[in-house]
Amino acid sequence: MALHRLSLRLRPTATHVRSFYTSRVGQQQNTVAAEPETEPFSVFRTKEDDPAFHSEKHIGQYYNVPSSHIQTLFHHGLPWRYKQQVETFNEASFMVRQPALEVISDLKQLDPSKPVQRYIFYGLKGSGKTISMCHTLHYCYTQGWLVLHIPDAHIWVKNCKELLPSSYKSSRFDQPFEAAEWLHKFKITNERFLSKIKTKHRYIWTKREVTEEGRPLGELVDQGTTRVRSSSDVIGALMKELRLQSGQPGSDFKLVAAVDGVNALWGRTTLKKRDSSIVDLEELTLIYNLRKLMRNDWIGGAVITTLSQTGSLFTPISAYWPQDMLGEIGFDSMDPFIPISVPNYSEKEFESCYLYYLDRNWLQHPQSRTEEGKKEILFLCNRNPWTMEKMCCVL
Amino acid sequence: MAASLKGLLQPWTPRVLTVRWSRYNPYYLEPEVKKEAYLKSESELSIEEKNEWDLRKHRPIKAAANNVTSSVFYDPIISKFINMIMKCGKKTLAQQIMTQTLESIKRQQVEKYLKAPGGQKEEIECNPYAIFHQAVENCKPCVGLANIKRGSITYQVPIPLKDRHRTYMALKWFITECKRDKNRRTLMHESLTEQFMQAYTKEGKVYKRKLDMHKLAEANRAYAHFRWC
Repeated sequence: MALHRLSLRLRPTATHVRSFYTSRVGQQQNTVAAEPETEPFSVFRTKEDDPAFHSEKHIGQYYNVPSSHIQTLFHHGLPWRYKQQVETFNEASFMVRQPALEVISDLKQLDPSKPVQRYIFYGLKGSGKTISMCHTLHYCYTQGWLVLHIPDAHIWVKNCKELLPSSYKSSRFDQPFEAAEWLHKFKITNERFLSKIKTKHRYIWTKREVTEEGRPLGELVDQGTTRVRSSSDVIGALMKELRLQSGQPGSDFKLVAAVDGVNALWGRTTLKKRDSSIVDLEELTLIYNLRKLMRNDWIGGAVITTLSQTGSLFTPISAYWPQDMLGEIGFDSMDPFIPISVPNYSEKEFESCYLYYLDRNWLQHPQSRTEEGKKEILFLCNRNPWTMEKMCCVL
Repeated sequence: MAASLKGLLQPWTPRVLTVRWSRYNPYYLEPEVKKEAYLKSESELSIEEKNEWDLRKHRPIKAAANNVTSSVFYDPIISKFINMIMKCGKKTLAQQIMTQTLESIKRQQVEKYLKAPGGQKEEIECNPYAIFHQAVENCKPCVGLANIKRGSITYQVPIPLKDRHRTYMALKWFITECKRDKNRRTLMHESLTEQFMQAYTKEGKVYKRKLDMHKLAEANRAYAHFRWC
């Protein structure tokens, strides 16, 4: 009986202590004694599911993303291989890493009256830029921000089935299907804001279709998804509305504009006009509007972007620095920005990843569970997350 | 002494040229790639192993092939299978197909395992290598058939097979069954995964083919003596 009361008294301290990484045998025994009914102490997982409370002590640990958030926020934002992993492991876990924590701590101290700060995640291929960005977006989502997430800007500059001449400006081209698809996903992510935010301008789509001032944003988005022809212009209008209204005294939302593969906005396209000449990036409505969003002339939010070589056009494989990826024009447009380097896993993070795979029963080869096998995996993947994931898929 | 050694180490061609032949003189020994073999101390070796090691000190050794590694994950049967899948020398494509197959087997099984209730978890085999080896083992025929001509008739005579040939036949059947009768859109690794999973549970086309071979051998038991006369 006395022991039971003792365990109740020890409970708050034990929960607080539990998420430290380094193994502390004495305290570990305390924790196990205090909470016999919970899971065993795990070095690579943390119970802290809210990104707002993540700090340096959680670095290297995995936290669970609730499946409701996956369906709404990350409907289209996650990398393909990660989505397969989520299905197989029956859970979605992000590793808490330094680059994401830096941006999250910056966002916590955000002053909504100042112009937006632009963050660019850069790093080698497969070092975890997209997942770091997703972690940051998860923080923004849980804090109630409006998330404008373009999962891959490269999709909009290549392999377009139909290029329509724009009705708004004759020199521009619309991409109706890509735009409509994106609007549909935007609607799923930001359902809760669509009725609250009202338009501040009047938009005339055709002779008979007009969106009046003061209508809910949901109507604007529906206009784009139903009338596919005007969907690119709807995106332009949507971005303009959100840019103008975020951070204003009347509105109560903050906007985070997230673009994965922002180097696509200042690269080249492979799209061709009817006379087989290559389309310029300025001539694409979507890209034109996205470039306006990337400027720091609006307030009350943040711009979080990633550079991506995979999927990019006409960039050498070895390029990963912002200067190389964005080019001169892109760098000047994005300047000033905060570059955030995303390195390969540290030793601690590698250990954590290895233990996570063991826990999920993913490392099946009998040799992969030995010391020799672990050394070989470490040697071959050089702690690069992507390479390690590819290797461990086979083992 | 020098003259006889020189004669032994000459480049050598066999009298009867088979399809695949080695330019190595039969005097050369196969290389030992496994690290464990070199880490054993003198006292742990049996007498035969000691003699073998002594022989290796005095004989020339062949160069190791490119696909042979001393990695802990190296498996000669899987290596053989990759070579058999390979066409036009495209080893990377064959390797990719194999890795995709192993990955998809593992994904299916791990998904099942993680969703299964606690009691059923032990029955689910998640190791793709174990499934691969068991599937190949299940599909190895015990006897083969040889074409032996007596008079003007060619008889299918049941004969015993060497272990290497049995493995070869099982692997070959997997590849041919996956290529045949499949939808144009199905990828090789998808059909391979399906066949391995079925053969693991002793079902499927490849297992059926092995049983057909056995039935044919059983039917032609009467001609078994043709092997010797």
